[in-house]
Amino acid sequence: MKTRSNTRQNHLKLARQIIEITLERGMNRGDHLPETALSEACGVSRTPIRSALKLLETNGIVQRREEGGYFLNHSPEEIGINGISQLDDMEDTLAARILSDRAERRITDVQSVSALVRRYDVPRSAVLNALKILSTDGVVAQLPGRAWAFQPLLDTPNALAESLTFRLALEPQAITAPGFEMDSQKAGLLRQQMEDFLRRSDGSMSSVAFLHLDCAFHSLIAESSGNRFICGALLAHQRLRLSTQKDHSIPDFRLRQSLEEHLDILDSLERMQHQLAADQMVLHLRRSQIRKPQAANRGLLPLARRGLA
Amino acid sequence: MNRPVIAFFPEASFGSALNCVGIAQQLQRQGAVPVFLCHQGFTGVFDEYGFKEYQLPASPKAASQRTEETWQAFVTAHLEHFSQDPLTQLETYVRPTWEAIVDTAIQAEKGLETLIKRIKPDAIVLDNVIMFPAIANAGVPWIRVVSCAETEIPDPNVPPYLSGMAVDDPSRAGFEAAYLECTSAAHRRYNAFRTRRGLPPLPSGQFLEASPYLNLLLAPKAIRHERVHPLPEDLFVFLEGCVREEAQFDPPPLPVNDGPIIYLSFGSLGAIDTDLIGRMIEVFSDFPARFFVNVGGFLESYQRVPDNVYLGSWFPQPSIVAQADLFIHHGGNNSYCEALYYGVPSLIMPYCWDGHDNGLRAAQTGTGIHMQRDSWNPQELCDTMTTLLGDKSLHQRMGRISGHMTQASGALLAAKSILCALGQCSP
Repeated sequence: MKTRSNTRQNHLKLARQIIEITLERGMNRGDHLPETALSEACGVSRTPIRSALKLLETNGIVQRREEGGYFLNHSPEEIGINGISQLDDMEDTLAARILSDRAERRITDVQSVSALVRRYDVPRSAVLNALKILSTDGVVAQLPGRAWAFQPLLDTPNALAESLTFRLALEPQAITAPGFEMDSQKAGLLRQQMEDFLRRSDGSMSSVAFLHLDCAFHSLIAESSGNRFICGALLAHQRLRLSTQKDHSIPDFRLRQSLEEHLDILDSLERMQHQLAADQMVLHLRRSQIRKPQAANRGLLPLARRGLA
Repeated sequence: MNRPVIAFFPEASFGSALNCVGIAQQLQRQGAVPVFLCHQGFTGVFDEYGFKEYQLPASPKAASQRTEETWQAFVTAHLEHFSQDPLTQLETYVRPTWEAIVDTAIQAEKGLETLIKRIKPDAIVLDNVIMFPAIANAGVPWIRVVSCAETEIPDPNVPPYLSGMAVDDPSRAGFEAAYLECTSAAHRRYNAFRTRRGLPPLPSGQFLEASPYLNLLLAPKAIRHERVHPLPEDLFVFLEGCVREEAQFDPPPLPVNDGPIIYLSFGSLGAIDTDLIGRMIEVFSDFPARFFVNVGGFLESYQRVPDNVYLGSWFPQPSIVAQADLFIHHGGNNSYCEALYYGVPSLIMPYCWDGHDNGLRAAQTGTGIHMQRDSWNPQELCDTMTTLLGDKSLHQRMGRISGHMTQASGALLAAKSILCALGQCSP
C-alpha cells in the first residue's frame, strides 16, 4: 500500500536527484529548471517533479517566479554543501526527532508507543510509522508486547570507538570485494563538493556539513562494493552516523586532512589501485579515532579512551 | 637560524595543552616549527591540530590497566574532598597532588632528556607547575608559561597560591605556613632530585623557577594584581589571555530552543562529579535558557535529559564560549580567561587548585560570581544565573574587557615574544 510517508520519501529522493543534476550540469544561481527536461532526466512524469521542486522551494534552494517555472536560488557551492543536508534534515521528521531525542538521551532506550504519542503530541499512526521507518535500519526493534527498544546508537565516545572498529573491519573489504565498481558521476560530484569545502577558510568549516560529506563519501564506497551484505550493513551504519553521531568537534586541520584522505582514496580507485585504496582507508579510519584522553589532571597519567586501534 | 624548532612540553592537562596549541598555531604562522613532547594519553591530541608529536616513553607504571585503577582510586579518594575549603584541601588534596607531581617529574626525566637530544630544539616551552631538569640542562633557551592563575608567582600583594583568599585576609599567614608544611616532604624529595640532576635547590614551597629567558603569563589586565615587586618587563610578558583557534561549533537545535545560551564545563576532572552536574541539570530544566553541558567521559551516566539541555563529551570551547551568554565553570584559568576574552560573565564553582583563586578574583573584579559547589539550593542557582544574564553594566564591562583582550592577541604576542627570546624579533 502506498502511504503518505512513502510518497514524501519519493519526492525527497527526486529533490535530491534534481540537486545532483544541477551540479552535474554546472548550473548557477538564477538558471531556469524546466520541468520537462527534469522529468526526462529523472524518468518520471511532471507531477512528482513539481512536488519535488515545491520541496526545494520550501528550503529556499529554488524559487518560483511569476514569469513561469522554477529557478535556482543558490550557487553550486551552497547547493552542494547545504542543499543536500537540508533535505536530509527534512526526511522522516518524526523518526528523525525520535532518533535525535534518543541520541541526546532525552528518552530512554525502551519506549512504548503511548509514551511517544504523549511526548510528540501526534497520532498513534504517525508514531507507528516513524518506528517502522527506524526499524528498517535496525535502529529500534519491537519487543514482545507493545514496547520498542532502541539499539546502540553513536551517542557516546565509547560507541564511536566501536563504530570505527566495525568500519575498519568492513570498509577496506568493501573496496577489495571482487564486484567493486564505483559510479564515476557520483564520485565526480562528491570530489567537487569536497574540493569546494576545502576552499573554505579556517573557522568556517561547519562540522555538521562535514559529517554530511563524510557520510556521503563512505556511503559511496559501500554502494560500490558489489557485495550486498557489506553494502547493506555499511549503508545502515552510515545512516545511523548521520542521524545520531555526536562529538562533531574536529579541529580544522583534521577536517582538511580527512577530506584530503578521501580525495587520495578516490584517486587510487580511479587508477583502479583497489588494494592501495583499501590500505588508505585503513589509515584514514585509524586517524579518525578520537584520541583525546577521557580525563586528565596534574600528577596523574591521563586516562586514555578505550578501544583505540 | 632558519625556521626554529620550538618544542612545547605542556603538563598533562587540557588547559595547558590547548593553551600551548594556541601559541604553537601562531608560531607556525610566524615561520617556526612547533613540535610537542607529550605524555602518554595525550598522543594524537596535538596531531589533530597539525603538529608533530613525540611521546614520552611509557614507564612501567603506565600500563593502561594500572592507569584506570589509579584513576578509580583517585576518584574514590578525592571526590568528597572537592567540597572542602582550600585550607582543609591542603592536607587532603594538595599534599598528595604535589607528591604525585614530583613523581611524574622524576619518572619523565630520562625519557625527556633522550627526546630533547633527539629533537635538538632551538627552544623549549614549558607549561607546567614544576621544572624538569632535562629542560633546564638542555642548553637551549627555555620559556615558562604560567597558565595557572597569577597567584602562582608570589608577591606580598598577591593572595597566596591556591588559597582562595583576599590579599589582606587575616588568616593569610596561617594558610601560608600550612601550605609550606603540607608541601615540605614533596619539596625535600624534589630538591634532592634537582641536586642529583645538577640544579640548585629552590626555596620552600616553590617547584619551578622563573625562566632567565622569558616568562609568559595569561592573566589579563582586568584581573591582574598590583604587585609590590613588579615583575621585570623584559622577562615577564602578560598575554591578556591566550586563546587558540578552534573548530566552529554549530549549536544543534534543541526541542526547546529559546533563550540565552549557557555553557557549563567543569573540565574533564570536574565531570567526574556526576551527582553535582545531575542536580544542576534538574534546575536547568525549568530555567528559560538553552544549556550546553560538557559531561566529559560520563555521558552514559545521564538519562532523561531535559529538552532545553544538550550534553556533550567534548566541545570546542572557544567557539561555544564565543556564542554563550553565561559560562558556568570551575575557575580553571584557561576557562576563566576564555570567558573574559569573549566578554562572557562567569559563574565559578571551584573544586580545587587555582579555581579557588579565580573564583574570588571574579567576584572582586566584577567579572562573575563565585559560588560554593555544594551549598546552593535550586532557587539560589536560578537567581544567580538570572542576575548574571540580566546585569547590563556587567555585560558592558565584559564587552570592554573583551575588546581589550582580543585587540592584544595574546597567542600572537606569545609567539613573537618567544621568537624575540631566540634573537628573532619581528616588528
